[in-house]
Amino acid sequence: MTDVAVGAGVAIPQRRKVETPFGSGSLDHKDLLAGTDYVQPIRVLPDVNIIKIGGQSIMDRGRAGLFPLVDEIGACARNHQMMIGAGGGTRARHAYAIGLELGLPTGVLAAIGASTALQNARILQMLLAKHGGIYINPEDFEKLPQFLRAGAIPIVPGMPPYRHWEKPPSLGRIPANRTDSGVYLTAEFLGARSCIYVKDEEGLFTDDPKKNPKAEFIPRITAQELFDRDLNDLVVERIVLTNMMKASHVREIQIINGLVPGNLTRALAGEHVGTIVTAPQTE
Amino acid sequence: MTGIIKGAAGRRMHMRSSLMRESLMDKTVMAASDKHAVIAMLPDVNIVSIGGCSIMDRGKNAIVPLLDEVVRCRREHQIVLGVGLGARLRHTYHICLDLGIPTGGMAMVAGAVGEQNRYMVQALLAKHGGVVLHKDHFVVLPLWLEAGLIPLMTGMPPYHYWEPPSGNQRVPMYREDFGMFMVSETLGARSMIFVKDEDGLHTADPKTDPSGKLIPSGTAQELLDMNLPDLIIERVVLESMLYARNTRRIQIINGLKPGLLARALAGEPVGTVITTDKPRAEGTSDADALPKGSRS
Repeated sequence: MTDVAVGAGVAIPQRRKVETPFGSGSLDHKDLLAGTDYVQPIRVLPDVNIIKIGGQSIMDRGRAGLFPLVDEIGACARNHQMMIGAGGGTRARHAYAIGLELGLPTGVLAAIGASTALQNARILQMLLAKHGGIYINPEDFEKLPQFLRAGAIPIVPGMPPYRHWEKPPSLGRIPANRTDSGVYLTAEFLGARSCIYVKDEEGLFTDDPKKNPKAEFIPRITAQELFDRDLNDLVVERIVLTNMMKASHVREIQIINGLVPGNLTRALAGEHVGTIVTAPQTE
Repeated sequence: MTGIIKGAAGRRMHMRSSLMRESLMDKTVMAASDKHAVIAMLPDVNIVSIGGCSIMDRGKNAIVPLLDEVVRCRREHQIVLGVGLGARLRHTYHICLDLGIPTGGMAMVAGAVGEQNRYMVQALLAKHGGVVLHKDHFVVLPLWLEAGLIPLMTGMPPYHYWEPPSGNQRVPMYREDFGMFMVSETLGARSMIFVKDEDGLHTADPKTDPSGKLIPSGTAQELLDMNLPDLIIERVVLESMLYARNTRRIQIINGLKPGLLARALAGEPVGTVITTDKPRAEGTSDADALPKGSRS
């Protein structure tokens, strides 16, 4: 290569631009879209329902927790397009605990945590195979229409693929984006019909009902109210609430008790059986 | 630390660990997770991010001298290069917005622009040991650095369809600057240098507003508090720096001026140096949960 002196005395090479309606500033400029008339985002798969199966809450209960739920998912899939995201659970906690002690950065913890959700996704696939359960990679998202038209139930690990790019959280070191977040973002990207979190409690409480018997059930609440209450504990990852408030499509999620037969069927039918969290459009 | 805790049939089965039975959303548990200091995985590596619009789109006369300098600097310093996207990214976003492609879809298709630029840089650096580092090949980095290679990667983080929604802004917030910042933060790199086409961060974009003044140094919090309408670096980098455990200093330099990269790698405060002095392990606010302007 040749050294070309650029700078003093030499013309500065010009940026070669492609004309767009954007302003001249960066893509973060708050007036980036001022004066443009872009349409609202499309819904990629508006009929699909995204179901998160909890790790600690459902998977770690083994047969007693999972078998009835698997059969219910199979029955529901005859009437609804469904896609499953798997949680992590106690093995993820075990790995995080050792990783934290070793001083591993959050990005490495996120990469490690993804492996437990991957295990659970594969386990769910084997259980759901007879009902059409298939394991898919993120690279297979483009084939989702084919899978869903064939009546299959695509299953993915819940963790988003952030891995080493998981940013340091504001509190502590455990990754803020875990399986609740990944499943929510899947639903939001697809413009899904619903996003349902299957856990082992009726829904959201004012505190962890497993530890505090005085914790009160919250049947319906907005994401903003949840932030304002500043609860010490939550049944869903906080980042989900943040993302909901900026979302184009999925502004409502429902958290249900998957140990109660029929709850998933009713939630898919649009019934209110657990806690519904909404993020109403304010404008 | 091992041991399976089995309850009665249908109860949750636990593994003994300090996080057993804990809700990871419990703030007490979250705060306690910061007990141990974070290690630096590769403390000798320097992360150098080459701008898309600022360098790549200017073509040969901007790219070649800069890469020559990278090759010279590699004799003394371990370097991982990141490559930005530029004008074709903006055009991609424009077409996608016109079609109503959701934010996650935009993040997914954008990556190909970065790959184009990465191929260009790899072709130029091949004879000097430039190798493409795929994002799931991090574990081979020690070998490549030991061999004197120059690993290079697209700056974009692998968020793809999982790019968080950005409200009314619509376009992905997490782009090449953030991606390389996170490479630096996770690896515990020696330095994080952003190579752009201005002398650093200004109070206003000097390309459109001649009154814009250079800010030679400042903390991430100070810069965020100034609430400038635009920044030469992605806002999420400054926001993430507040909670960084390893990368608490970044530098923005002018890659059109020869010699600045070498000086920055030598530790000289050329350009703009941004630091964060927030003591680690003290996250009491919940900025992740409620960023400014989060309601759309």
